[in-house]
Amino acid sequence: MAKSITGEVIKGAAGSERATVNNPARTTSGEIDFERIEQSSSFKNLMDAKKKFLIPVTILFLGLYVLFNIIISYTTWLEGSFMGDISWVWVFAFGLFVMTWTLVTVYMKRAAKFDELANKTLVEFGYEDKEETR
Amino acid sequence: MNATVIIIFVTIVAMTLVITYFAAKRTKSASDFYTAGGGLTGWQNGMAIAGDYLSAASFLGIAGAIALFGFDGFLFSIGYLVAYLVVLFIVAEPLRNLGKYTLADMINARFDAKKVRGAAALSSITIVIFYMIAQLVGAGALIQLLFGIDYLWAVILVGVMMTIYVLFGGMTATSWVQIIKAILLMLGTVILSFLVLKNFNFNILEMFAQMKTATPHGEAYLNPGVRYTIPLDTISLMLALVLGTAGLPHILMRFFTVRDAKTARSSVMWATWIVGLFYVMTIFLGFGAAAFVGSTDIIATNAAGNMAAPLLAQALGGDILMSFISAVAFATILAVVAGLVLSGASAFAHDIYGQIIKKGNVSEREQMLAARYASLGVAIFSILLAVFAQSLNVAFLVSLAFCIAASANLPVIIYTIFWKRFNTSGAVTAILTGLISALVLVTLSPSVMSPEVGAAILVGDPIFPLTNPAIVSIPLGFLGGVAGTLLSKESDAKKYAEVKVRANTGGFRQL
Repeated sequence: MAKSITGEVIKGAAGSERATVNNPARTTSGEIDFERIEQSSSFKNLMDAKKKFLIPVTILFLGLYVLFNIIISYTTWLEGSFMGDISWVWVFAFGLFVMTWTLVTVYMKRAAKFDELANKTLVEFGYEDKEETR
Repeated sequence: MNATVIIIFVTIVAMTLVITYFAAKRTKSASDFYTAGGGLTGWQNGMAIAGDYLSAASFLGIAGAIALFGFDGFLFSIGYLVAYLVVLFIVAEPLRNLGKYTLADMINARFDAKKVRGAAALSSITIVIFYMIAQLVGAGALIQLLFGIDYLWAVILVGVMMTIYVLFGGMTATSWVQIIKAILLMLGTVILSFLVLKNFNFNILEMFAQMKTATPHGEAYLNPGVRYTIPLDTISLMLALVLGTAGLPHILMRFFTVRDAKTARSSVMWATWIVGLFYVMTIFLGFGAAAFVGSTDIIATNAAGNMAAPLLAQALGGDILMSFISAVAFATILAVVAGLVLSGASAFAHDIYGQIIKKGNVSEREQMLAARYASLGVAIFSILLAVFAQSLNVAFLVSLAFCIAASANLPVIIYTIFWKRFNTSGAVTAILTGLISALVLVTLSPSVMSPEVGAAILVGDPIFPLTNPAIVSIPLGFLGGVAGTLLSKESDAKKYAEVKVRANTGGFRQL
């Protein structure tokens, strides 16, 4: 089947770095073969790295957010005192603020790595952003 | 109106007009008009996002809601902020990598079909109209209160200003008006917060202790349940807030004003810090207003509590601070409505006229003309609607706009980026199911139907029990996309590979 054929082509392309620069992912008609890029190990590395970070983190923040709303809507668990007249509701709410800022900061660091991986794919398949090389 | 108000007010208006004059000189192409040529830096766009997002509803509405309802008023702040994680993790970068001017561009990068673009443009326009009426009605009422001008003239004043910015200065003028507004708003909020904290001797514990007795609600003021008593309704509203931001056309459009996904990302980071710090300070504004103005006076001036922040400024800083805060509120309104006009105009002129009617065969000059006519049209249409919609509840309109954005736009964005099998009919059904279910459920809800004559638009028992339908309409939007996709055999793995590669690497742009 076509898949196994493309699969082997990709291995070859990813294996020899020099060949890929001169031989970008184009079919004979000059179109870019995106399926070959999608199947390449460099692109798969990028997607794996993104998924490994984004899926758990999204579940975490949406989960905590929904949990907070369920707790304050259906129970009075958080209405006890944390310190003086400040109840746990405010602590949890402020925690969601801290969570947002923390996750944004962590993501900015992670995303620098994603950029590196994305760049590897782009270089491998002979794409240069004109603006970037300006 | 005293002399100070007039001086501060005229200064702000003059400043924005100077910006518009210079922006107009730089607005030569459609790309300049819609996206400021894509040349904003991360912090500039971050400030502009904050300026676009922190509407009068945020500044005056939340401060008032916290003053009157305590913790329940603060719920809005939480939802509006956490929403930025959805924007950052899921939407911002793929949108920048795939789109050009509008949300429809991004979806059409995968499905080159008129019906998809039409549906996306329709939902964008619907959201913009609801949001715009809310802003204009709120603006009219506020300016009436702040400056003593008639509602009609207040709406016309704001309408004329927003039209001038957009018509002549396009996105460049709009962005800088938003940036300056964000700076003024933060400055005003920091000053007010400082004065409030000073009055509590910079002691947070003392502040909470005093708040326990400062309002008619007593201890309940510091805990949830004063305003929102139906659990499902609260959860539904909070879902609309957290998922809606990522579908708001005027916020999405801001990501096209930067050159690449990396800058889009850093602009969200800036926006999150600014917006977050602002929302923390809404606590001080609300508590301060409740303690130093008092809920009786706040309600006496405006039943919804919208005047809490200006009244607080007067109580703590006298007429000059009150004038400054009022002028900031005015700048806030202008910045948000200008952004809305622009996103509405892009859906009409770029999506419907340029791409659907003219099939993309439009010259640069025609695109510019269409964009300007559309801006004028959107502005006049919303001014007319706002004149007749004076009695509508602003908070309800805003939460409805968030609900439609979450139900109609978010599912299709997520499926376009992540779902291989997703297809053209799925895209159309996702948008339409989300849009129609949100609108229908709201029409049947207590917000529109009330057995009491005159309490709502329709008379009768509400058929749908929740005031905000998000908890039902968002899942319906997602399910609609699945159903539409599975009912059609169409599936294009090759195109999905392209979209996936382009969305995630930022390479191979087709602009």
